[in-house]
Amino acid sequence: MTQSLASDITTGPNQGDFDYSQKRIDDASSQLQVPLKTIDLSVGFSHSTILNEISLSFPKGTITALVGPTGCGKSTFLRTLNRMNDHVRGFWHKGSVVLDDVNIYDKSVDPLVLRRNVGMVFQRPNPFPMSIKDNVVSGVKAHKLAKRKDLLAIAESQLKEVGLYDAIADRMDDSPFRLSGGQQQLLCLARALAVGPEVLLLDEPTASLDPVSTSSVESLISALVPKLTIVIVTHNLAQARRIAQHAAFFFNGELVEHGLAAQVLEDPEHETTAQFVTGRMG
Amino acid sequence: MFSKSHLLRRKILDKAMWALATFSLVCIVAPLAWLVWGVVGRALPHWNWSLLTTKPGGANGGGLSTLIVGTLVITAGVAVVAGIIGIGSGLYLSELCPEGKGKILRTASEVLSGVPAIVLGFLGYTVLVVEFKWGFSLGAALVVLSIMVVPYIAKATEVAILQVPTAFREAAEGLGMTRWQTLRRAVLKPAAPGIVTGLIIALAIAMGETAPLLYTAGASNNFPTSHITHSPVGFLTYAVWTDYNQPLAGSAELSATAAVLLLVIVLMLILLSRLVIRVSKKYSINNSHGGR
Repeated sequence: MTQSLASDITTGPNQGDFDYSQKRIDDASSQLQVPLKTIDLSVGFSHSTILNEISLSFPKGTITALVGPTGCGKSTFLRTLNRMNDHVRGFWHKGSVVLDDVNIYDKSVDPLVLRRNVGMVFQRPNPFPMSIKDNVVSGVKAHKLAKRKDLLAIAESQLKEVGLYDAIADRMDDSPFRLSGGQQQLLCLARALAVGPEVLLLDEPTASLDPVSTSSVESLISALVPKLTIVIVTHNLAQARRIAQHAAFFFNGELVEHGLAAQVLEDPEHETTAQFVTGRMG
Repeated sequence: MFSKSHLLRRKILDKAMWALATFSLVCIVAPLAWLVWGVVGRALPHWNWSLLTTKPGGANGGGLSTLIVGTLVITAGVAVVAGIIGIGSGLYLSELCPEGKGKILRTASEVLSGVPAIVLGFLGYTVLVVEFKWGFSLGAALVVLSIMVVPYIAKATEVAILQVPTAFREAAEGLGMTRWQTLRRAVLKPAAPGIVTGLIIALAIAMGETAPLLYTAGASNNFPTSHITHSPVGFLTYAVWTDYNQPLAGSAELSATAAVLLLVIVLMLILLSRLVIRVSKKYSINNSHGGR
């Protein structure tokens, strides 16, 4: 699988006779321990440096929470993991981001295929202005991962996976903007999952949601491991404690401390981390 | 907390702003009502359905059939030529163009939109009709009218695309969509109402032009032919302009009827655009009642 995924992000999937269901089974059977890591990664825009020599590994099938005060570089770091900063003016990086032994910033890597393997969900729900069904399968259609006749079944199965299907079964052709904020975010998760990513990046996915919706999204995120490797940026330390197995604390563009979530968030080694997690800074 | 005079000032200012806004509305609606009343009042007493099916000419001035068809053909041609170039230019300016080059292109487009129509018509006459030897023709008319309205369509397209929330683009990029897929699936759909509105306004402007068409389309009492060059085309604004001053009985009324028909066609274009906008807004972010 390592070989096939590495080949996937460099040359693109075999689009001719792609078996959607088989792809998901293959992904689930992958046994990589650290599919994604950064090595001495420095990132900046024009003359300013945002992140300084970050080396961090994301163990397979776990949730890693990135925490830290506003402006410390967490979201920039997250967006660097699937090359979402590529089009931002003045963006530069040093060091590497390695996905399955391939540096994703190598010239041979196709960022479009990379983003299929490293999916992303954003702070605010951002469904497309199309029907609920079309939203779920938009990525599947873009990457030609399934035949047209199978799209409805895929949409239904993804919506069931995120626990949204029962609520909207008779509204598949409706506008997604009729859904509540929490339902829209679940829809965005279904859309991201539909293309079969190996890693999922979540940028404060519950920041704009109420506590009930937050709970639904957290339950889903927890249920996605160990099938997926998840990296989540959150300002909510309680959330990080609830769902993450690993945590990393960023401060002023530096990675101060990382390790098991219980250790980093409850009994940190560094004073700065302790100040943050105990609410003396933030 | 507030003094009486302060509260009184606020109330007076509030009333004054309401009055100013209402006055502005009247300034727009009143001339339109006067225009409609004037032309419909002149045309209606002499209305005859045969005007729509009879060619111009004859002792009583005839009808307007060929001019109606000529106007529709010219408008459809401008919609295709200027629509493709204008929307393409707007897409280029908003999505693909480097910033420096964009400033030059936008300035050029603004200058072009400020050139008087009669100057463009004269240019079209000297270059296309005389120099290229196209003669008075549909081709010359389409080129000049398209050059005239492309800046409007390009600007409307650019503004509509720039107003699409960044979140849609990010979502598409996050899924690994190509730039074209992002445009097609996430950007153009929500931008469609703005683009269509710009296109319709541009077509209404083109349809109402007289001077550039006199220089390029010429004049004709016959139906348009399949020839792009060397075949003059009749158009409604020609009748509005010419028949009003003709000494023949019924000419002035024919002129008013042509004006009414132009208003009706513009109204139909606006209704068509509303329909397109309604359909394209079915899944709009601003339409939380969309769907079934």
